[in-house]
Amino acid sequence: MNHSNNMPDLSVELCGVRLKNPILTASGTFGYGKEYAQFYDINVLGGICTKGITKEKREGNPSPRIAETPCGMLNSVGLQNPGVDGFIRDDVPFLQTLSTAVIANIAGKTEEDYCYTAERVSALDCVKMVELNISCPNVKAGGMAFGVLPESVQRITRAVKKHCVKPLMVKLSPNVANIADNARAAEQGGADCVSLINTVGGMAIDWRARKPILANVCGGLSGPAVKPIALKMVYEVHKAVRLPIVGLGGIMTADDVMEFLVAGATAVQVGSANIFDPMAGVNLVNELTNLCKRCNINTLRDLTGTLNA
Amino acid sequence: MKDILLRILKKSMPAPNVFILELGADEPLPPIRCGQFLHLKVGGNYLLRRPFCIYKFTERTVTVVAAVVGGGTRCLAEQPEGACLQAVLPIGNGFTLEEKHRKIVLLGGGIGCAPLATVPVTYPDREYISYLGFSTAENVLFEKEFSSFGKTVVATDDGTCGRSGFITDALRADMAKISPDVILTCGPTPMLKAAARLSLETKVPAYMSGETRMGCGVGACLVCACDIKEKNGEIVRKRACVDGPVFRLEDIVL
Repeated sequence: MNHSNNMPDLSVELCGVRLKNPILTASGTFGYGKEYAQFYDINVLGGICTKGITKEKREGNPSPRIAETPCGMLNSVGLQNPGVDGFIRDDVPFLQTLSTAVIANIAGKTEEDYCYTAERVSALDCVKMVELNISCPNVKAGGMAFGVLPESVQRITRAVKKHCVKPLMVKLSPNVANIADNARAAEQGGADCVSLINTVGGMAIDWRARKPILANVCGGLSGPAVKPIALKMVYEVHKAVRLPIVGLGGIMTADDVMEFLVAGATAVQVGSANIFDPMAGVNLVNELTNLCKRCNINTLRDLTGTLNA
Repeated sequence: MKDILLRILKKSMPAPNVFILELGADEPLPPIRCGQFLHLKVGGNYLLRRPFCIYKFTERTVTVVAAVVGGGTRCLAEQPEGACLQAVLPIGNGFTLEEKHRKIVLLGGGIGCAPLATVPVTYPDREYISYLGFSTAENVLFEKEFSSFGKTVVATDDGTCGRSGFITDALRADMAKISPDVILTCGPTPMLKAAARLSLETKVPAYMSGETRMGCGVGACLVCACDIKEKNGEIVRKRACVDGPVFRLEDIVL
């Protein structure tokens, strides 16, 4: 029987939340959605992960905060955000109008900050999941300090889980000894799923000026340059835990999405691609639909973890 | 703000390391106002777009003036006529003149003169006096064009064309005589700093269009943050792309 004219089923289920398709936008690359809503109906996406939200407003790092690198980019924004009150006041009214899944990304300086923010954002009707950012390389206190050692990953996950009334996704850093250990630690701490990878620590230098290009000296590398690293880590984590995995790192095409699914991801996040092209999200959803049709894939979720290694 | 495919209709190199691209769309462009910019793919393997001020525009074309400063702009400069590049446009707040701003000084440095050329097009009913500064004679651009808007003074750092020295010193010498209502400026940071001092001393308000590294260009990624002094003295970070690129000169921390 030929299914090639049928619309393929791209929907996936992530921790009890049904997503129209596996394409989410990665935190920090999509604001709180409304900037991209000027370009296309963002409800075509599986979901959006918001810019990181902290207890108090933050101004982030000094500029320059970005540098282009071969097949990628470095950033050091440093969690600039309006704080949880500003988010609820200025951004939630728009997010409430969306039919796509909203995942609130949270960060903090202390365990108490994380718990406070998780409690506030997870109580919002429009927030379907909470993503715990313990892997930001661009802030001094907090951020990655919680995400390096497996013990601290487990502790912060357990603490936040008690205050989070929605499914909790823990975003893992690649800048660690063994990411599979950290994924296990998140699982033991009560995470509902893990997302990986956050950016890879990196640096760009203007040698003539003897100066770093980023004002913060170092930053986080993203874009196609990190995709092979991300794929390897998704593959390793898939073998190590039973939790669903959200894969990210340099996704630019529908083939990239397929690679992450086959490696073990249930869904993916698209990050830098939004910065390179404001239409990246909708283009990817359309491309994925067409790719499934061409390859006679009727149910996309069946692909997860089908790698024969 | 729209993502549109543009074709390079015409390319010229009017000065060393400077190139002008006239870009055309198959469809009418969204309405553009003075001081806005576009975020343009540069071709090759470059992923990030680059922001360029709009120098001229018609219903279906925009022209930008750019300098080769690194690999990305070199790649763009090497694109042939006929090449197609994706762009988001128009972006930003642009220059806004109040009704009381009748006599306007346009203060440009190098290719920073380009966005100022759109002001008399958007506001044709004002009096313009232009002060254009360049490093040396072979880099002097736009003189004829600005002369068509009104009196135009050119200065070069080395004195090879027009008045000798910094253009801000030339303007300072003439300020009392011309007594403008507002100064609009765009150019290198040292020039903007000198313009800020002049504005403060003479109490003539000034607005600047800045240049910064950008990421998305649509207000989402926050990489183009610049420090802005609020009325209460607090410093806040604003997005150069959609909150700017034009800010009041006394508010921006240069």
